[in-house]
Amino acid sequence: MSMNFSEFKKFLGADPLNSDPETLRARASGPEFEQAAIDASDFEQKLRSALGVAAPGEEFLEQIMSVSRRPSPRPRWFAIAASVLILIGVSGVTWWQVNLPRTIEEYVAVHYEYDGMELTGKASTDFDVSTISAVLAKLDMGTEKELSDRILFIKLCPTLNGRGAHMIVQSDRGVVNIIYMPGTMVEDQRTIEFGDMEAYMVAFEGGTAAIIGRADQDVSSMDQLVRNSLSKTI
Amino acid sequence: MSTEAERNIRFEKLARQFSTDLYRYAMWICGNDALAKDLVQETYLRALKALDSLKNEKAAKSWLITILRREYARTFERKAPKFTDIESVSVQEDDELEPDERVERQLLRQGMASLPPRYREPLLLQVVMGHCCAEISAQLGVSKSAVMTQLFRARELLKKKLQEDGVTGNVHELF
Repeated sequence: MSMNFSEFKKFLGADPLNSDPETLRARASGPEFEQAAIDASDFEQKLRSALGVAAPGEEFLEQIMSVSRRPSPRPRWFAIAASVLILIGVSGVTWWQVNLPRTIEEYVAVHYEYDGMELTGKASTDFDVSTISAVLAKLDMGTEKELSDRILFIKLCPTLNGRGAHMIVQSDRGVVNIIYMPGTMVEDQRTIEFGDMEAYMVAFEGGTAAIIGRADQDVSSMDQLVRNSLSKTI
Repeated sequence: MSTEAERNIRFEKLARQFSTDLYRYAMWICGNDALAKDLVQETYLRALKALDSLKNEKAAKSWLITILRREYARTFERKAPKFTDIESVSVQEDDELEPDERVERQLLRQGMASLPPRYREPLLLQVVMGHCCAEISAQLGVSKSAVMTQLFRARELLKKKLQEDGVTGNVHELF
């Protein structure tokens, strides 16, 4: 049974873009039906356009995806968890603003805990060197041969401020992790300690690089190598 | 590939596929950028924990919306947040609009923000999330005919808003 004009207008108001056979038949049943369908479609376009909130951006997506990459809490992170809870209680800020690492120190430690050892296991002298330039190019960065010859693995990674690169590098005292953070600037070089590891922060024009290794690896000795080898390409 | 790796890949796929639409939906139900992002993040956190319960990938979008709606209801069960940011949230191609089109769009956005939730929500599910009437019916737990009525009334209220605020044009042909 076909719709009368009043029913058709109500139907359009509920489902203006419906194109099932019954709707098309009703639409073809007279010029006023056709005009009503055109008007409803016009209004719908305006409505859809008006509701088109801009996408929140890649960083937001990274934040969401980092949820699945987050490591399980380990005992030495109870202190951080406790301070996070205190922050929530004191300032009332929302969980996502505090649940991710807030400082570069926290970030470096959490990041290394998460996949530092795993990536170290992937280090190989057979590593395809073209990956190095491909990954760094995505960050508008390049590297001198002196460093690239030592890179045994590299991948893009999330950082506190956009994307960065996580590298496994052969130092004179064994394999170390380097997390390069192009969007993060620290004011000066410094060393942080977490567990049995230490991270030396190299502050340079291209951002910050955290060189992570055991205390006996003297990671700060790689300062000049990193500083002189990583550079912006644009 | 380990089970955990598979879960992560599955989760990231859901994030890439639906996070923008969920953010837009959240933005229109709470009207605040930070709250909307918070809601979406909380939704994905809960989705990750319950990922194994999602058996059919085709149902993922509805599943995520259900989580988000529950989270919104739980968070704001006593008091709905005030719409604060909708007017300032940027919309693509704004510069290409004629001045009267821009006014019309602004009125529609204001109208949408002021719609009672029982009308706003089905309309958002249809327009922003691309749900059909049957899916909205299932999501909201009301009959399909009730959904049709709510959608019709929602659009009528928006058209009325445009009419009352003096916007002319073919929109008026609909009355």
